[in-house]
Amino acid sequence: MLTYFVVIPVLIASLLFVFSDNKSARVLAIILQTAFTAFSFYLVLLTRGGDTVTIVGGYIDFLGIYLRIYSVSAVFMLLTSIIFLVVAVYSFNMTDSRTFWFLLFILEAALTGLYFTRDLFNIFVLVEVSTVVVIILLMFNRERRQMFGGMVFLMLNIVAMQFYLLGLAYVYKLTGAFDIAYVSDAIALSDRADLILPYALIMTAIAFKCSIIPLFSFTPKTQLYPAAPCAVAAILSGVQIKTNVYLFIRLQEVFGSFASHDFFLVVGIAASITGVILAISQTNIKMILAYHTMSQVGLIIIGLSSGGYYSQIGGLYHVVSHGIFKSALFLTAGIIYRSYGTCDVYKIKGVLKRLPLTGVVTLAAVLGITGAPLFIGSVSKYFISYDVPTWLMWTTNIISLGTIISFIKYSGILFGKDNGLQGKAVETDKWRIIPTTALGIMCLAGGVFGQQLINFLFDANVSISLSSYLEKSLIFFASLAIGYLIYKYAVKGNQVLKRLANLNFSFKSVCMSMGVFFGLTLIFVGIL
Amino acid sequence: MLEVLLVLWIVLAMLIVFENKAYRIIVYFGIFSLITAVCYLFLGAPDVAMAEAGISAFSTIFFVICIERYYGRKGQTLVEKPISIALGKRFAKIVLPLTFTIGLFVLFIHFMPDTSVSTYLKELYLLRFMEDIGGQNAVNAILAGYRVYDTLFEALILVISVVAVSHMSWSDKTYVSDGRPSDIEGSKMAVLTMRIICPLILLFGAYIIANGHISAGGGFQGGLAVASFFICRYFIYDIYDIPVKKVIKLEELIFINIIVAAIIAIFVGAAAYLPAEFREIYQGAYLLTMNILIGLKVACGFFILFYRYIAIERGEETNLNVNKGVKS
Amino acid sequence: MIANIIPLDYFAVIMFFISFFGIITSRNIIKSIIFILLMQTAVIMFWLFLGARYGTAPPIVYELGMLDDLSAFADPMPQALMLTAIIIGVSVTAINITMLNALFRKYKTADWLIISDIARKEESDD
Repeated sequence: MLTYFVVIPVLIASLLFVFSDNKSARVLAIILQTAFTAFSFYLVLLTRGGDTVTIVGGYIDFLGIYLRIYSVSAVFMLLTSIIFLVVAVYSFNMTDSRTFWFLLFILEAALTGLYFTRDLFNIFVLVEVSTVVVIILLMFNRERRQMFGGMVFLMLNIVAMQFYLLGLAYVYKLTGAFDIAYVSDAIALSDRADLILPYALIMTAIAFKCSIIPLFSFTPKTQLYPAAPCAVAAILSGVQIKTNVYLFIRLQEVFGSFASHDFFLVVGIAASITGVILAISQTNIKMILAYHTMSQVGLIIIGLSSGGYYSQIGGLYHVVSHGIFKSALFLTAGIIYRSYGTCDVYKIKGVLKRLPLTGVVTLAAVLGITGAPLFIGSVSKYFISYDVPTWLMWTTNIISLGTIISFIKYSGILFGKDNGLQGKAVETDKWRIIPTTALGIMCLAGGVFGQQLINFLFDANVSISLSSYLEKSLIFFASLAIGYLIYKYAVKGNQVLKRLANLNFSFKSVCMSMGVFFGLTLIFVGIL
Repeated sequence: MLEVLLVLWIVLAMLIVFENKAYRIIVYFGIFSLITAVCYLFLGAPDVAMAEAGISAFSTIFFVICIERYYGRKGQTLVEKPISIALGKRFAKIVLPLTFTIGLFVLFIHFMPDTSVSTYLKELYLLRFMEDIGGQNAVNAILAGYRVYDTLFEALILVISVVAVSHMSWSDKTYVSDGRPSDIEGSKMAVLTMRIICPLILLFGAYIIANGHISAGGGFQGGLAVASFFICRYFIYDIYDIPVKKVIKLEELIFINIIVAAIIAIFVGAAAYLPAEFREIYQGAYLLTMNILIGLKVACGFFILFYRYIAIERGEETNLNVNKGVKS
Repeated sequence: MIANIIPLDYFAVIMFFISFFGIITSRNIIKSIIFILLMQTAVIMFWLFLGARYGTAPPIVYELGMLDDLSAFADPMPQALMLTAIIIGVSVTAINITMLNALFRKYKTADWLIISDIARKEESDD
């Protein structure tokens, strides 16, 4: 059954591409997207009764490809389909090219395939498909200037996947199969010394895909260019990077007890702090959001690697909440960019006056990402730092403080007097307003009903105690005050940060850092 | 024999590293791919060897087209400056990366697992594929049967790349079927030779496709041969008359057919509903259909890619003319 | 005789690192793309060494009696997977070369340093 979930969208997309004209393609695409969302909701319900496994073609004994859905992948899939629906509605008036809809559908099918698959080589194929499609979508407007960023991003991805493929060769050598269940059983029996190299090779590729330190640089860069459609940036940041986080979870599971959680805890902390500092230094609104993705992915990895049950749930829920508020922020940034004609955070003023609804949604999403009480981010951050050691709790608090500082900067665009930059003042396009508003409502609802939602989505049994939640809220307000002071006196006009904003990595240096990461993983796992 | 080839392989790679003239790099790359293909053949992988040989020909052509336009046709064009003799620069450019790479290599070798290869899947595949999928070529059986799900995405990525190349190559307008002679300076001898070889290439492609399931080869390799037939045709007749948009549509249609065939035969498992005596015929028919479909699709795909690159060439020239006209 | 000194699949690893070295040193985009292709070739060669050695028979079974000695055959699995990997590689390379063409047309050069300098200037102009 699961096979059809992946294959039918591809079939429909190709049929749309060949047979429909540009106008009906988008209407059909949105109808199908709605159906797809309904189906993935059904899958979430289905996983309540346990896992579902489908063997493609029915070739048993791991000869064929096994597909499996369980509670986590069903949640990822639900998130993906909801954000794709929102983005599809959002871009209804943006483009009438059926190539765009074709690629959007293919991307969704590839991501769905990644959530289902239990086969390591199939992961390689699908990751390649989804990367190529995302890059083409980012450059859909054919601005030549974007070509550079896009090409570098593509080449880096190919290099990273060569590392994955080489690691996979060693996995095959050791175990003789590709099925995740079979491989993880075989790995549990095999010698520890044999596993170091494949682990380092595979994890280098996955860490690059998650764009964590020191392998980031170009993921934000490609989202920067004004001509890159905001809708696609929302998908890249909200969904596609989450897919790689999902792969990270799966592959850590494959290596079982061998997997080094400490290493990735360190890497996650480094990534989120660097991401926050770089986000503070930026002045382009899209760039702030893009670097923020890095820090939030770092936070998710902290939650997943710190070992506690609650923080794991928190990390998973943070995937959902980050997907929602980050796509809300990117989509509203698109509206703001259209209205003001600039992306400079200091030039845009008075969004709440000019575009009231967009402003309110942006505010809700900002409150969500900073972890304000009652909003979606607060619940996930609460659980991430629930059962971790004290030092780690304070580290996450510092990361949240950084987030707050950068979003104090960001929310400067909301207030103040409308300085009358070019463009239309009114929000007329209801195709853009409805989806963003829906995301804003989700930001609030995910916070208010956070506990119930977590219990429903992850089939877990967690509860939020009022006293500690209040304590977290107090920490939030305290760090809001501190953050404001820091922003006012230390960040504004800071020369070091200005220099940091122009930090640029070339293709070669990112490749080099890929090598450094690989070497570090080898040394950390093999020798320490 | 294999050792000698592998040493040559490494030497060619080193030559590419330290070469800075455009055409030499491409020629070295061509030889490199040829040696790779022969190595594959020695390793008992004729299918991969054929694919590598075909692919290397195509990527060499792509690179030549790309370089010819921008560096001209002179063989001596530098693609990058030769390494400076000054000590500081040499340190940053060579010594530091070299030390780094060697360090990584040593780490790699140090942690290399020293186990024998597990043969779990190999034995199962070899013992069962004739019954499960049919045919005599195990590689083909895996591609078209056991792992047809992968093959679908592999076909899809070719479709995507064709769509992307035609979307991004900035020559949307119809330079594609203007019927002008191509501006390739034809050497008479080359054209004559190609004229003789051309039908043979097509025949060879058809043979590989049709016998994919019983001997080495298959849809992909045959498709490459068929595509190269069309490219030879372009060189021989100097004409540019096949409408690319229709071919793109055809490719999509074939892709849809591949999906439908895979759904009916593998995902639904139509063989289970057939009486046992038809089973063998059905399996052969399925493999043949799949190979033909994939072959046609790959042929279409590479044909489009090639024509598109040529169109970039011609398209820009026309563009320049138009611009000049507006200005004057 | 070389096989006695070093195992043959080390050649693939050496090639992997030569192309890695090429990637981190070459100043030209065309060369970088070629090195990525070399890296792919190295990985594919390594895969093929997993299931075969010099002179193993291809996994084509003409009669059932041949199946008595399975070790005489090459492993079909790496071959099938590497065919997939080759096709993916060439599709991605085609896209890459298209983008390179576009860059060439805009900047009239394929030098990493020059292009990234111009690109950075354009960025700060926004």
